[in-house]
Amino acid sequence: MSLAHAIPYASVVTPVPPLQARPAGAVLLEARGLTVSAPGRPERLQVLRDVSFTLRAGATLGLVGESGAGKSMLGRVIARHLPDGFTVDAGTLRFGHGEGGADLLGMPAEAHRALLGARIAFIPQEPMTALNPVLTIGQQLQEHLLRLGVAKDEWRERATAMLAEVRIHQPAQVLDKYAFQLSGGMCQRVMIAMAFAGDPQLVVSDEATTALDASTQAHIVTLIRGLQERRGTGVIFVTHDLGLAAHVCDELVVLYAGEMAERGPAKRIFTRSLHPYTQALQRANPHLTGPRRLLFSLPGQMPGISDFPSLQGCRFQPRCAVATEACATAVPAMREVLPGHHVRCVHGAAAPEPLLAADASDATIFHAPRMSDAPFLQVEGLSKVYRPRSGWLRRETGVHAVKDVDLTIAPGEFVGIVGESGSGKSSLARLVMGLETPSEGRILLNGKALVARAEDWERRIASIQMIFQDARSALNPRRRVQSLVTQSMESRPNLHSDRQARARELVADVGLAPDMLTRFPSQMSGGQRQRVNIGRALCDLPQLLVADEIVSGLDVSVQAQILNLLLRIRREHKISLLLISHDLAVVRYLCSRVLVMHQGVVVESGETEAVLANPQHAYTKSLLAAVPPRDLGVRWPQ
Amino acid sequence: MSSLALSAPAPLRRVLGEPRVVIGVGLLLLLIALAVFAPWLAPHAPNEQDLLNTVLPPAWAPGGDRSFPLGTDALGQCILSRLIYSTRVTVIIALTAPLGAALLGCTLALIAGYRGGRIEWAILRMVDLWMSFPAIVLALVLMVALSPGLLNVIVAIILVDWTRFCRVIRADVVVLRRKDYVAAARITGASHWQVVMKDIVPGILPTLISLISLEMGISVVAESILSFVGMSVEPNVPTWGVMIADGLKSVFSSPWGLIAPVGCTVLTVLATTCLGDGLRRTTDPRLFNRSGT
Amino acid sequence: MLTSPALSTPASPGRLNAIAGRSLAAMPTVWRILWRVPMLLALAALVFFVLRVLPADPMGMLLPPSATPADVKALTEALGLDKPIPVQFGIWLGNALHGDLGRTLTSGLQVTPLILKALPTTLQLIACGLLLGMVFGIGGGLLAFRYRGTRIERAVEVVNSISISVPEFLWAILLILGVGIGLKLLPFLGQLDAGLTVPNVTGFLLVDAVVAGDFAALWSALKHLALPAFALSLGIAPPLMRILHSSLLDAYTEDYVSAARLRGLSENRILVRHALKNAALPTVSMLGIQASTVIGGTLLIETIFGFPGIGSLMVNAIGAHDLPMIQGLALTYAVAVQAVNMVTDAVLLLLNPRLRTP
Repeated sequence: MSLAHAIPYASVVTPVPPLQARPAGAVLLEARGLTVSAPGRPERLQVLRDVSFTLRAGATLGLVGESGAGKSMLGRVIARHLPDGFTVDAGTLRFGHGEGGADLLGMPAEAHRALLGARIAFIPQEPMTALNPVLTIGQQLQEHLLRLGVAKDEWRERATAMLAEVRIHQPAQVLDKYAFQLSGGMCQRVMIAMAFAGDPQLVVSDEATTALDASTQAHIVTLIRGLQERRGTGVIFVTHDLGLAAHVCDELVVLYAGEMAERGPAKRIFTRSLHPYTQALQRANPHLTGPRRLLFSLPGQMPGISDFPSLQGCRFQPRCAVATEACATAVPAMREVLPGHHVRCVHGAAAPEPLLAADASDATIFHAPRMSDAPFLQVEGLSKVYRPRSGWLRRETGVHAVKDVDLTIAPGEFVGIVGESGSGKSSLARLVMGLETPSEGRILLNGKALVARAEDWERRIASIQMIFQDARSALNPRRRVQSLVTQSMESRPNLHSDRQARARELVADVGLAPDMLTRFPSQMSGGQRQRVNIGRALCDLPQLLVADEIVSGLDVSVQAQILNLLLRIRREHKISLLLISHDLAVVRYLCSRVLVMHQGVVVESGETEAVLANPQHAYTKSLLAAVPPRDLGVRWPQ
Repeated sequence: MSSLALSAPAPLRRVLGEPRVVIGVGLLLLLIALAVFAPWLAPHAPNEQDLLNTVLPPAWAPGGDRSFPLGTDALGQCILSRLIYSTRVTVIIALTAPLGAALLGCTLALIAGYRGGRIEWAILRMVDLWMSFPAIVLALVLMVALSPGLLNVIVAIILVDWTRFCRVIRADVVVLRRKDYVAAARITGASHWQVVMKDIVPGILPTLISLISLEMGISVVAESILSFVGMSVEPNVPTWGVMIADGLKSVFSSPWGLIAPVGCTVLTVLATTCLGDGLRRTTDPRLFNRSGT
Repeated sequence: MLTSPALSTPASPGRLNAIAGRSLAAMPTVWRILWRVPMLLALAALVFFVLRVLPADPMGMLLPPSATPADVKALTEALGLDKPIPVQFGIWLGNALHGDLGRTLTSGLQVTPLILKALPTTLQLIACGLLLGMVFGIGGGLLAFRYRGTRIERAVEVVNSISISVPEFLWAILLILGVGIGLKLLPFLGQLDAGLTVPNVTGFLLVDAVVAGDFAALWSALKHLALPAFALSLGIAPPLMRILHSSLLDAYTEDYVSAARLRGLSENRILVRHALKNAALPTVSMLGIQASTVIGGTLLIETIFGFPGIGSLMVNAIGAHDLPMIQGLALTYAVAVQAVNMVTDAVLLLLNPRLRTP
């Protein structure tokens, strides 16, 4: 919920406590050759290998990587809270300046615990669950402040000042609220306030903005930056978003499979990365501006920790387009190939331009097949009001999830719906699919209106199918892939052999190997599950696919694979797509037309390029402003 | 529909390999064997009274008689024989009552959980109502109304315990109904009935199976409580509960008349609890998702 | 049913909350406590109809076998049984609200005073049983949690499994056999040693003994209460222990515990201030669910130990097919269960802010 828009900014009411004497640029945290291993057979698995970096006071270090790369593991090493059986095998971690700093890993547990919360603070990924649900915000702040040494009669005043500093409206009242009464953005502000309360030297922000809306993300980043500047704190910013990290951080470390792939100045890595993985990552990300290029989809996926022992050489080598023979046998060392810029690759600074995949220059993939312009789906004045569950004796007005929406889709057309959470886009998708009944308005399919009758339901599901967001929840864990992709054939009598044949076709269509047919969903990765989801939707060759945030939980490289798959499906089967997403770049990549929704209403619509280049409505403008621009010269957030 | 069948990845082997399951099933099979072969195994008829040899101690104690291995009760009936013949009632009740309660409870749970709305509200209120009575009290009231008899005992247990199934299963059904794959099944053309049978019921099976095995122990105990109060089966049928009630009266003269049926009841309940626990562990869906790869 | 419903509820706090607490969440605050009152009405109706509707011959149950047809007719009219059943219920209810639950068939005495005389004994037993049960249950849960991962936890779990399997009345018998007869440590018949009497002031024996200043009687009463209360406590202690243990384990996997640890809070503080407060919710829910088991357990415990509470009254009434008595007692039991549940509802409201605020 973008409450941030509704909340006017409160100005700082009390002056910030005086800064401790902290020489700028002093080394704050130094890691050398950190190696962490997990239990495994026959030998232990190294989940982090040879990680080194230096963080100075007032600077921001970015840790970028996809899920499973080990970025959160570093936070756990600093907190000395590793999972059972994990140990730090090698390397040092020194904290603070003065006589080489204190050995974080070796110091006694009590001394280390004294540092936590006071000198070293953490900002978690999921703010709402990081707060105790049965204690008020005030109670938790009180506990924290009292521990930091604030006097008993002063804590309330100090807490109110802290909340005001993180721009929470009416801070005194928020103290008496519970976590579930606040939005995600507000909870995160509370966590940030607690983190900076003790004037820490180091703050670790573990994907602190990932769970938030784009606009809230921008505000939170501004907040952290402001607090950091005032106190001279060093920040470790963990994220999977390279574009965001480039704006926020001074120095970047790119992690892949537990190893550092590249380390150097943020802007340099972003504009001219040297490691093939970083380059591939950037080319797999859809852009909001610039020419539309086919996304480079890196084959396969990042190796899991159980695969590490079989990788003798560079861990990226199996997927690398420019790998040499030496890469498979020996782990390349981390070398400083340019001033301040280290890379772990045999090619060093002279990485050859990777051969792009065969269909990379095939721009025809973007062209929608020539088909009639007459829309087959027309939505007119659609509204949906949700009534609260059994309002006992009280008349409560319902929530207007969708208000008076018009929409048309022509054959072969990809239409996108963007908005933040709470905008009603998911409700609209469910209304089109028929999983909800509209309160007002109507939907016309191939010229005839759809009503809540059995025959119309048959007609509807023959022409419209849905791909769900959470692929794991959308696949019955007890069915095999073969049964899942041909699920729609169950309601009609079919020959077993027909079903098997169709299953084989579908699996090939979505780019899965035939041996996947006998697997269960729990035995597949997230990307593979989403492909099965798509395959199932394709079984009866519907006219329209409704895709509700289908790539939001996936890694960048897997996302690129799925997006390209959708384009290919359009070319082969001439199917239309209604794509629901909060990610403008994804919508721009796929869709020729876009609708922008805000609080249930379509505020702007039109050709994608036109809307993005020249937004008319204030909300659209704010959405665009919330995305970190590719041009690092532009100051972001404003 | 062979390879397309909804087969679970948790193989039967894993279930049968769990020691708890083996112990539980083993003891239950033993009970069934005792019940079936009672006439050949028991030294006497259960109601055969020998008024010259009342309240005898077991064969190994002084004053005991070889022909009465565990001694006799106040009416001179052989305790061992009564013990063995009692397994018949135990087995019948343990096999029928849980299934009946499960059927009733599950059906209502599926209706309530799947349909939602007013029907769910009504069924839940009925469950609340039912569970407001202590189970013993409700069972006794029912037995007063129905009058003693084996069939009536089974009916009473079903009518009292269905609520437990209903509540727990309904919670599961609500969780499953919300899953996307139920919506996906609907949009691929499955009827409500097919969705319930193919997507929801397999999801509640693990819980159901474990509940049924627990209920076996509970119904055995229920019967013995009813016997204890004198409101169970027909007067001449031996049950462990009746033996306990009788044994309590002559506990000072011959404690074995009490110890034996108490021990048997405890063992039976332990066996079913063990079984239910073991089944729950091996079919827990949380373990499910981590299998494979 | 007669042991513990908790046996069958897999000890998962999330599910427990889903089953028990859910219906609470949809109601306005005041109503959340008071909704049980109309329930009582429905309960009374249920008992009434079961007893009137089910048996083929209600008269056969109410009259001695030697009754003549004239007797049958006279009693039918006197009891108003010729009127339609809902009317009968209305009459009974009207009387009940005035405190008149009819007369027993066996002695012709008023039902209400008999119940009220026996009630304090049962209430005292319930209170002691609940107290002991909470002490053992919560203590055991904390112990198992404190030593998690060690053998002590396994031992507690095993003891727990065994206790859960054995129903209370069997525990009572085992205790009598072992502690009462075998070890001869504690008495097990009646409420007081023979020969001791305590003047009846409140009806609660312990209170009366204190009031009368008779400490010998107090000691005797406590000794006699020990075994029955312990047997009763074995009905709730194991499920309580299990739910507290698993709720604490669950709480420790939650984000707010790791966030608190990252703020440098000590383990003790995390356990007491953060985890326990959350783990209390499903534990209190479980207590509410177990209320009916404990209250039902008194029925047999009283019979076995010879306590003159409503349990003994019930057993006698059932043996005699004394309909009015059975009705009155069933209603009393239901009221007791509802009362305990109202208390747990109120406690849950206090502890769980989500239930308080919309």
